[in-house]
Amino acid sequence: MTINLLTNLSFYIPEMIAIVTMCSLLFMETAYANNERRRTFVYVTGFIGMLLCLFSLYKNLGIDSQGIFANAVVIDSFSTMMKMTMVIGTLGTFYISHKSIDIYDELKSEYLIMAVGVLVGGMLLASSNNMLTLYLGVETLSILSYVMTSLKRRDHLSSEAGIKYALYGGVTAGIMLFGMSHLYGLFGSIQFPDIIAGIKALEGFNIAVILSLLMFFVGIGYKIACFPFHMWSPDVYQGSPVPVTAFFSIVPKIAGIAVVARVTYSFFGTENMTTQVWNSMIAVIAALTMTVGNLSALNQKSVKRMLAFSSIGHVGLILIGVLTFGGKGMSSILFYTLIYTFMTLVAFFVTTMIVNRTGSDDAIYFRGLAKTHPILGVSMLIALFSLAGLPPFGGFIAKFNIISSAVGQGLYTLSVIAAINSVISLVYYLKLARTMVFDDADGEAKIESYSLASRVYVIGMVIPIIFLGLFWNNIYHLYSSAKIYLN
Amino acid sequence: MSGLLNWILWTPVIGILAILLIPSKNKMAIRYTALATTAVTFVWTILLYCNFDTSVAGMQPDFLVKVPWIGDFNIFYSLGVDGISMPMTILTGLLFFICILSSWTVEKNVKAYFALLLMLQSTVFGVFFALDFFLFYVYWEVMLLPMFFLIGIWGGENREYAAVKFFLYTFFGSIIMLIGIIALYYSAENPVDAFNILAHQGGKFTDKTVMLFGSEWAFNKLFFWAMFLGFAIKVPVFPFHTWLPHAHVQAPTAVSVILAGVLLKMGTYGFLRIAFPIFPAAAVEYSTIIAVLGVISVLYGAFCAMAQSDVKKLVAYSSVSHMGFVMMGMAAMTTQGMNGAVLQMFNHGTSTAMMFLMIGVIYERSHHRWIVRPDGSKGYGGLAKHMPTYTTIFIIGMFASLGLPGLSGFISEALIFLGIYERFTTITVIAVMGLLIGAAYLLWMYKRMFFGEPSEEVLSYSDMNYREIAYMLPLCVAVIVFGVYPSPILNIMRASVGKLVELMAQFQ
Repeated sequence: MTINLLTNLSFYIPEMIAIVTMCSLLFMETAYANNERRRTFVYVTGFIGMLLCLFSLYKNLGIDSQGIFANAVVIDSFSTMMKMTMVIGTLGTFYISHKSIDIYDELKSEYLIMAVGVLVGGMLLASSNNMLTLYLGVETLSILSYVMTSLKRRDHLSSEAGIKYALYGGVTAGIMLFGMSHLYGLFGSIQFPDIIAGIKALEGFNIAVILSLLMFFVGIGYKIACFPFHMWSPDVYQGSPVPVTAFFSIVPKIAGIAVVARVTYSFFGTENMTTQVWNSMIAVIAALTMTVGNLSALNQKSVKRMLAFSSIGHVGLILIGVLTFGGKGMSSILFYTLIYTFMTLVAFFVTTMIVNRTGSDDAIYFRGLAKTHPILGVSMLIALFSLAGLPPFGGFIAKFNIISSAVGQGLYTLSVIAAINSVISLVYYLKLARTMVFDDADGEAKIESYSLASRVYVIGMVIPIIFLGLFWNNIYHLYSSAKIYLN
Repeated sequence: MSGLLNWILWTPVIGILAILLIPSKNKMAIRYTALATTAVTFVWTILLYCNFDTSVAGMQPDFLVKVPWIGDFNIFYSLGVDGISMPMTILTGLLFFICILSSWTVEKNVKAYFALLLMLQSTVFGVFFALDFFLFYVYWEVMLLPMFFLIGIWGGENREYAAVKFFLYTFFGSIIMLIGIIALYYSAENPVDAFNILAHQGGKFTDKTVMLFGSEWAFNKLFFWAMFLGFAIKVPVFPFHTWLPHAHVQAPTAVSVILAGVLLKMGTYGFLRIAFPIFPAAAVEYSTIIAVLGVISVLYGAFCAMAQSDVKKLVAYSSVSHMGFVMMGMAAMTTQGMNGAVLQMFNHGTSTAMMFLMIGVIYERSHHRWIVRPDGSKGYGGLAKHMPTYTTIFIIGMFASLGLPGLSGFISEALIFLGIYERFTTITVIAVMGLLIGAAYLLWMYKRMFFGEPSEEVLSYSDMNYREIAYMLPLCVAVIVFGVYPSPILNIMRASVGKLVELMAQFQ
């Protein structure tokens, strides 16, 4: 047993690196005086830790799918790839937090600690194979998220958002736990394989199973902010500091999607009543999430809020991939999340720059950005067009993959809804784009924090968006070779 | 020679890179670079024309390009040209060259303007050459970006609304088309040809898709309309035309020329290359609807044009009317009708380009486009007395667009009527009324603008300068030469159009 655990640990290196990084950051935070020099140190440590984590995840890609720690955690290439995207997202927000005035200087290292903590929770969530680890992941993710939301503590919106988030989170986690306990009662096990076997054996319409599964979904649905559990998200996104908003729209979402995908695919592999109920529920939720998210985004003045609603729309689209997971869905989810990460990072970085200058993220402050700051403006344009799904940018390929997986499974209604939603989303993206390009700037206000490194960062984030829009064969090939562990 | 299509496609891109390297203060250098680029591109298209084998009905074997792009999806970078895309290629080469010359007076952000125009040219060529659905779609969509900025930055007073409307309309149509493309992808018999436009032609679908939809006909029907929507918005056919007047009126002159001259043809080209040959059964079944929509476009566009007091809007509506003739010619599915449709695509490209350019010339002098101002007074008047050169060239363009025998518009319209008469007699009779109304609104406009005594304002306008005459001349020549002797164009399209007509005849 001891030896077994040790060998198991060798597959768990990425998570351990993340945990060690978090702990050493915590140590540095307390041990050194709070000054500029320490902050640099903290950032460098965090950066190196995340790079190591990314590298060890990459190493993990090669190993066979298996369950570790008494089958409580699975290591398979699907979860490893999702984790890699999460780590890239975390790394990306590091720089944004470094630049943002939304996070007070003395709290910057705390942001890093908590971001890595959320990442650990997300990684656990993405590879959980029983109810307990799943719940543990959700809670690790959530509790730190509540704190991160209120990081801008002198701002009442931020505090309000934190409370709102915590209340919502508490209620949904409770409902989820309730559902889980029912599932345990029904199937006599918290292990996914046992539950899968139980669901497979079901015949006809079992109201108890369906109800407890629905309650279980509430918790995850809240994390990925899908309709009807999305109400918290605009307020939290608007109240949080910009880097936190960027972080929230990437890491917890990807982790949640990984869980929904794993559960949907593994629990409901057989054709029976329960599967039909679950799948049609996901389909309806996907359609409503897209539509509600995009329609709500139409009239937003705050760019953060607009991006929050748009990310709800994107989750709806990704849920189509969840539904077609057996076909091309898995690779399209992986591709979508990767591209979505880059697009979101660019969009939020530019928003951070605007917030730094004006103190507000209102769309009017984006006026004339393409003229005053061509690199920022063009990057934002590319991010917006990519989010809308226009070629030759990666967002188009992502959308194309999702729609093609849907059409491949005969989900024509959903693909038409997705198509119409693209048009709706284009309306508000274009609105911001025209503000940036067609309107004149108010004065020659330069962004002071816009340094050479910022240029390098934003260009570095835009390059993958364009590159993956043109030459996506290799990465798609890698993604379509991903495996998911079912046992 | 085999790389000629690549050269045509990528020369504008090289031009963009060169322009980006020139400092934006050096406006003349940017203009000359753009001019040189389009000149070289035009020479390539002429070279392509000279090496065109008119006996080949399919794609010209010498010019085929096929390189794997995305292996996992069987997406190829595959280009080709045949008798239907060849006239469009020459038209694109010529019009962009002329547009660069006509944009000499643009002073606002010159660098971005010419770079975007060249980008537009490359994407338009891409649409006409692409033989791979994915590539086609990418070019079809990328084209929206330069258009959006060209209208939105350099356009008229209400430019932002027009740019957004244009973008959204086209995007809506094309994303529905995308679903059709993906459905076709899954219907391919041989996975390697999943995105191959030519391999799908012939209206045969595999059993797999038939199983999914119940019958081959159901599949045909559904996705013919998906494609129809994408292309019809672009043409634009009657109920989908509302974006056009806005886009045309607000766009700067050169962009209006490109929009009317080339971009609208992408819609009808889409019908000829994709919607008709891939879903022939549905196309034949619904040809009546297409013809009816065509004739409504003809009449509705003409009536709308008659009511306009803005001369640019008048010409914009006349485009709706003239593209209606193309739709009718295609719906006829006869040799004359189809030939007429393709020829009309070319001829409308030259004649409407002339009209828009001439409006641009007068706009630069007067800074308004009112035939009759909103307060009821005359906008122009007496131009004929004061500006003889302008009047002469304007008359040529106007009569070409009106369909006067001896000028290009007549031949194509006559062919279309010949072709459609056997199939849809009533529609033909109604559509001929469109010609009459067309003559009416153009002549009425002419009377109001050119006759009478010139006002003092008109007297202050200078006649056309040499640059303006220079870029109008090739179009004048084209309009007159192809009006008398259309064979150079008809010859290259004959074999390809014949093949398409044969295919359609199998399903009648």
